[in-house]
Amino acid sequence: MSWSDFFLMQQELALILLALVLLVVEISLDTENKHKIIPVANFLFIPILVIGFLNTSTGSLFGDMYITDPTRILMKNILNVGVFLVFLQVSNWLKTQANNRNRISEFYLLIISSLIGVNYLISAGNFLMFYLSLELTSIPIAALAAYEQYKHKSAEAGIKMILSSAFSSGILLFGLSLLYAGTGTLNYGAMAIASVDLIQSMGFIFFFSGLAFKISIVPFHLWTADVYEGAPVAVTSYLSVISKGVAVFVLAIVLITLFGEIQGLWQEVIYVTAILTMTIGNLFAIRQKNIKRFLAFSSIAQAGFILLGLVGGSNFGTTAVLYFVLIYIFSNLAAFGVVSVIQNASDKENIYDYNGLYKTNPRLSLVMMLALFSLAGIPPVAGFFGKFFLFAAAAEAGMYVLLLIAVLNAIISLYYYLLVVKAMFINSNDQPVPKIESDFFARAGLILCTAGIIITGFISWIYEYMLNNSFGI
Amino acid sequence: MSTEGLILFFIAGVLMVGGGIIVSNLVAPRSTNAQKLDPYECGIPTIGPSWMQFRVGYYLFAIMFLIFDVETVFIFPWAVVMKQVGMTAFIEILIFFVILGLGLLYAWKKKALRWE
Repeated sequence: MSWSDFFLMQQELALILLALVLLVVEISLDTENKHKIIPVANFLFIPILVIGFLNTSTGSLFGDMYITDPTRILMKNILNVGVFLVFLQVSNWLKTQANNRNRISEFYLLIISSLIGVNYLISAGNFLMFYLSLELTSIPIAALAAYEQYKHKSAEAGIKMILSSAFSSGILLFGLSLLYAGTGTLNYGAMAIASVDLIQSMGFIFFFSGLAFKISIVPFHLWTADVYEGAPVAVTSYLSVISKGVAVFVLAIVLITLFGEIQGLWQEVIYVTAILTMTIGNLFAIRQKNIKRFLAFSSIAQAGFILLGLVGGSNFGTTAVLYFVLIYIFSNLAAFGVVSVIQNASDKENIYDYNGLYKTNPRLSLVMMLALFSLAGIPPVAGFFGKFFLFAAAAEAGMYVLLLIAVLNAIISLYYYLLVVKAMFINSNDQPVPKIESDFFARAGLILCTAGIIITGFISWIYEYMLNNSFGI
Repeated sequence: MSTEGLILFFIAGVLMVGGGIIVSNLVAPRSTNAQKLDPYECGIPTIGPSWMQFRVGYYLFAIMFLIFDVETVFIFPWAVVMKQVGMTAFIEILIFFVILGLGLLYAWKKKALRWE
């Protein structure tokens, strides 16, 4: 192995370098100048994106511990874009919170640590590496969930997050140990999962349950709503798109490369959990009054839809999942962006507080409307195309009953998404949210999200590009 | 391994752990005296209740100590193979030191080393 081999990991190395640079900046800044790290971090993240898109490396490192290929790079790029959007959204919140003045750079450092974990998780070629990076992904986020520790709800979210992720890691490790007992290796390439083997099937079930916690698939979703509600909006948006996205991607990789032999088993598991996740997520979302809890249950329902793409185990399905996650990132981050802006300005987070928002903040309401339309899957916006390909993947696998339930659920979801739109545009309010002037970064973030929502569906080469690159795994 | 194997594995696991506890309870001789309740090799008997609250500062110091403790553990094997690996090993350990040093500098700047 020579030095040049390390450049296979150029994305991760660049992120580590970024973390170190930010640490140096943090050390050199005085207490009253801490907010200056915000533009530094935002602009320094752009080269990371560029490096990611220029990255074409293929190969493996450290005895197959680390694998890179175009599909994995594509997954990392999708998530990097999401993190960039999160960074743009948080700037305003970080600046205005008086209690956080000393801890601004910690926010960036922890998110970047988690992102490094995300990148290594996608590139892992060995379950040891997989587990290490999974922990690196979730522990900084648990710290961030308790970022506003002087608020009881935030502290509660932090402790719930760390306990549930410790619990899920325990289940996952048990699954991995069963897989190791059955095959005698932890290396993806050397693992031969056989369809008849009970130990390996049990190992898969536990492994899947552990990952299901991270994706918040029913019946492992109970932590989601409380953590999403208590954590700061920025952390919630990171949790709902990046943590969920990476777990979905890793599940896709592992299902196809490792568990191809026991497809009959995992198809049934995913079939049942997909139905449960969609239905329960939707039914609970209808009852929510708090917008963050509402979006939490909506994200659970979306996770159910994502499972539709995985159930067939085909390349077409994988492409649909990648494509949907990209669109989901744009739409969910747009929704959370609006929630974040409004909460910063007026500290309101109930759905009835959004009554009459259109009168005072027409542009914010339009962005929110597009985001909700996209989440619901209404044709002109990208969410429709994302859902369409997911449904098509399920149809290709011949699962028409599942498809029917999914379509019914899409209709139910339409109802509660439109309730929020109705609140903003039709309902009247004596004291609507006052007019808000958001700062440059938040505005840029919302514009990028809106552009993504509108454009991603229509530019077909994005989909073609993903289709061409999804054959790697 | 088949289903029977898995069941046997489970039963054997339960028996090994549970059996050990039960057998040692039945077989082991019992003798109780006052000395047995004294702290063993851990200093003198405590004065007052030991369930008191500690300053959180202790933990900060303990963590800082732990980091550098682990660093030493890492450096020992490095020192053993350093001659064979040569310049590469030297540069790699320098990178490691720089990262650790930055961490220490950060803790220093955050006044984690100050006892107030």
